[in-house]
Amino acid sequence: MPSLHIILTTSFIITLVILISPVFTSILYKSLNRNWHTHHIKTAVKMAFFTSLLPLFLHHHTGTELTITNLHWMNIMTFDINTSFKLDHLSITFVPIALYVTWAILEFASWYMKSDPNINQFFKFLLIFLIAMVTLVTANNMFQLFIGWEGVGIMSFLLIGWWWARADANTAALQAVLYKGVGDVGLIFTLGWMATNLNSWEMQQMYITAKSLDMNAPLIGLILAATGKSAQFGLHPWLPSAMEGPTPVSALLHSSTMVVAGIFLLVRLSPLMQDNPFALTTCLILGALTTLFTTICALTQNDIKKIIAFSTSSQSGLMMVTIGLNQPYLAFLHICTHAFFKAMLFLCSGVIIHALNNEQDIRKMGGLLYLIPTTTSCLTIGSLALMGTPFLAGFFSKDAIIEALNNSYLNAWALALTLLATSLTAAYSLRMIFFVNMNFPRFPALSPINENIKSITNPLKRLAWGTILAGDLMTCAVLPPKPPMLSMPPYIKLTALVITILGLTIALELALFTNKQRPYMPKQYFYFSTMLGYYPTIMHRFFPYTFLKLSQTIGTMTIDQTWLEKTGPKTITSLNLSLATTTSNIQKGMMKTFLSLFFTTLMIIILLNYY
Amino acid sequence: MAAAYLTHQQKVLRLYKKSLRHLESWCIFRDKYRFYACLLRARFDENKNEKDMVKATKLLKAGEEEFWAKQHPQPYIFPDSPGGTSYERYNCYKVPEWVLDHWHPSEKAMYPDYFSKREQWKKLREKSWDKEVAQLQAETPAGGPRTEALPPARKEGDLPPLWWQYVTRPKERPA
Repeated sequence: MPSLHIILTTSFIITLVILISPVFTSILYKSLNRNWHTHHIKTAVKMAFFTSLLPLFLHHHTGTELTITNLHWMNIMTFDINTSFKLDHLSITFVPIALYVTWAILEFASWYMKSDPNINQFFKFLLIFLIAMVTLVTANNMFQLFIGWEGVGIMSFLLIGWWWARADANTAALQAVLYKGVGDVGLIFTLGWMATNLNSWEMQQMYITAKSLDMNAPLIGLILAATGKSAQFGLHPWLPSAMEGPTPVSALLHSSTMVVAGIFLLVRLSPLMQDNPFALTTCLILGALTTLFTTICALTQNDIKKIIAFSTSSQSGLMMVTIGLNQPYLAFLHICTHAFFKAMLFLCSGVIIHALNNEQDIRKMGGLLYLIPTTTSCLTIGSLALMGTPFLAGFFSKDAIIEALNNSYLNAWALALTLLATSLTAAYSLRMIFFVNMNFPRFPALSPINENIKSITNPLKRLAWGTILAGDLMTCAVLPPKPPMLSMPPYIKLTALVITILGLTIALELALFTNKQRPYMPKQYFYFSTMLGYYPTIMHRFFPYTFLKLSQTIGTMTIDQTWLEKTGPKTITSLNLSLATTTSNIQKGMMKTFLSLFFTTLMIIILLNYY
Repeated sequence: MAAAYLTHQQKVLRLYKKSLRHLESWCIFRDKYRFYACLLRARFDENKNEKDMVKATKLLKAGEEEFWAKQHPQPYIFPDSPGGTSYERYNCYKVPEWVLDHWHPSEKAMYPDYFSKREQWKKLREKSWDKEVAQLQAETPAGGPRTEALPPARKEGDLPPLWWQYVTRPKERPA
C-alpha cells in the first residue's frame, strides 16, 4: 500500500529531523539556563524513540519494508553514489532499541555528569554519535555505511578522551583509534574491491552481482573490519581501555551500539557470506576464540567496568560465532537483547561508582544490596539476563544460539570453547555480584550513597523492563527467516542451562572460600588471566619498540652512513686501497715469471686472432 | 632531614607498608586480612632487634625478593593516587588564574567586586615579590634546594615566598 510507504518514510524522516535539530539549535540559540541544552537533547531522543515506534509497529503488522533514495550524490561514469536509507527488519528494529537505550543513558548522564562544566558539549557528542550510528544502521550503500562507521569511531575517540588531562584517557583514546583503524583497512579494501569488481556500492546490486564471484578477499576485509570494531581477538585491547571514558559513554558506545557495529555489518552483508564456507569458518573460529579468551580475562579483573567490558567483548564473540553458524538473524536478536541488559549493567556500575566516591574496585565494595537496593537489583537482573536465565532477554537469544551450535555439524572445537565460555560467564557474573552486593561493606563509612533520585531509578527501571520483556516480545513478534531445529534430545536442549548452573555452582563454592583462612599461592593461569593473556604487554611494547629501534637505526645510522660514507669517500677509499694493494702485491720482482706469462698470453691472443 | 639515600629503617618500613597493601589486595575480606597482617607483623618483629647490619641487609634483600615473587598483579590503588581511576581526571578543568586577566571588560563588569579586590591583591604581590626572591636567595643552599618545601615568612609584616601560587591554586575538585 503506498500510504504505508508514505507513513514509514515520513515517520523515519521526522525521527531524523528530531535527532539532528538540537545540533543546530545549540549553535543558534543560547539560553541562560545552563542545563537547557541537556534537557533539550534528552527530550529530542525521547521523542525520536516514540516516532520510531510507528515504523516498527507497521513493519511487524504488515511486513512493510522500504528503501528511500532521495539524493543523487555523485557519479563516476556508471558508478552512482546516492543517499539511500534501507528500512528493513534490521534497521526498523534496531533504531528504536538504540533510541530507547540512549534515552535512558542520557537521563542517567544528566545526573552522572551534573558537576561537569562542559555537560552540554558531552550531550552534543553523544547525540552526534547517535546520528552516526543511525546513519550506519540505515545505510543502503557502503559509502553511507562508511560515513556512519567513521563517525562512530571519531565520536568514540572524543568521548573516551573526555577527561583529556588524564594521560591514561589519551592513551586509551589513541588505542581505540589505532586498533579500529586496522579494521578500517579491511573495510576500505572491501570497498575498493566492490567498486572494482561489482561496480556498485548499493546493497541490492552487490547481492545480485556477487553470486558468481569468488568473494574470499572482500569477506576477509569485512571480517577484519568487524574484528576491529567489535573487539574480536587480536584487535580487542581497546575495549577494556575504553573504560577510561565516563560511564554513560561506556554504556552507550562500548556495550550496546558501537561495539556491535562490526557484527551488524556482517549481519547486513550476510547474503554475501552465506555461501562462503571459508568466511563462515573464519567467523566461527574467531568468535569462539574471542569469547573464551575474554571470558577468561574477565574472571580475575577487579575493576567493575573492566569486568563488564570483557563481558561485552565475550558476547560480541558469541555473536560472531552465530554468524559463523550462518544464523545472522540470531546474531541480530542477540545484538538487540544484549543492548538492554548491558547498558543496564553499566548504568548500575555508574551509580555504584558515584555512590562510593569514584571507587571502581570491587574489593572495596560490598553490602550494597542493603544500601542501594534498586541499583543492585537491576545489577542482579542484568547479570541473570547475561547468563541466559530462562525467560529473561538473554535467554531467548543465547539459548537459541547454543542450540543452533549444538545441532550444527560444524567445528566441535568451537562448540567446546563456546560452552566453556558460557559456563565462565556465569562464574564472573556471580563473582561480581558476590563482591558488590553481598557480605559487609569494605568502603569508608562517609560515602555519598543515595539512589533516591528520579534520574537514576527511572532509566534503570526502564532498562530492567526492557531486559525482562524485550526477548519475549521480539521472539513472539517476529518469525525467524530460517526455521530453527524444533526437536532435539533433552541433553542438547538443556546444555546451556546445565553448563550455566554448573559454572554458577563452582563459582559460588570458590567465592565462599575467599573469606576462609586458607593461604594459597596463585598459579600461572591466574597471572595469565589477570595480565589479560599478556597480549597488551607484548603488543604494546614489543612491536612498537622493535619498529622504533629499527627506524632509529635507519634514520640515524644507516641513512647517514650510507649517503655520507658508503656512497662517497669510504667506498672510493676501500676500492682504491684494494686496487693499490693488489697492484703493489703483484709487483714481486719475479721478472722471468712476468715475462713468460706476458709472452704466453700474447701468443694465445695472436693464435686466436689468426684462427 | 631528607637525604639522597634511604636509611635501613626507611627501607624496612617501606617494604612493610607495600607488603601490607599487597596483602590487602590478596585478602579481600577484612578478617582474613587482619589475620595475615598480624602474621606479617610477627615476621617483621622477629628480626627487629637485629644489630648486625650485614645480616639485617640480607634479611631485607630476602624480604624484597619474597615481595617481588608474591606481589599482586593488580594491586589496589586509591582512585586519586597515581595509577588510580580518577587520577588527574579533573586537571582539564583546572584553569590558571592569569586567564582572568584575559576576560573581556564586559565579562569583568559582571563581577566588579571580585576584580577590584583582585587588582589590590596584584599590587600586594608586586610589592612583596622582591622580598620573597631575596628571602629565597638567602635561604637556598649553594647546591640547590634540598626539598620542595618553601620556607615561611621570617620577618614581621612579610608574606611567605611564592604565596601567590599557593593562594591562587585551583580547587582539587573543580565544580
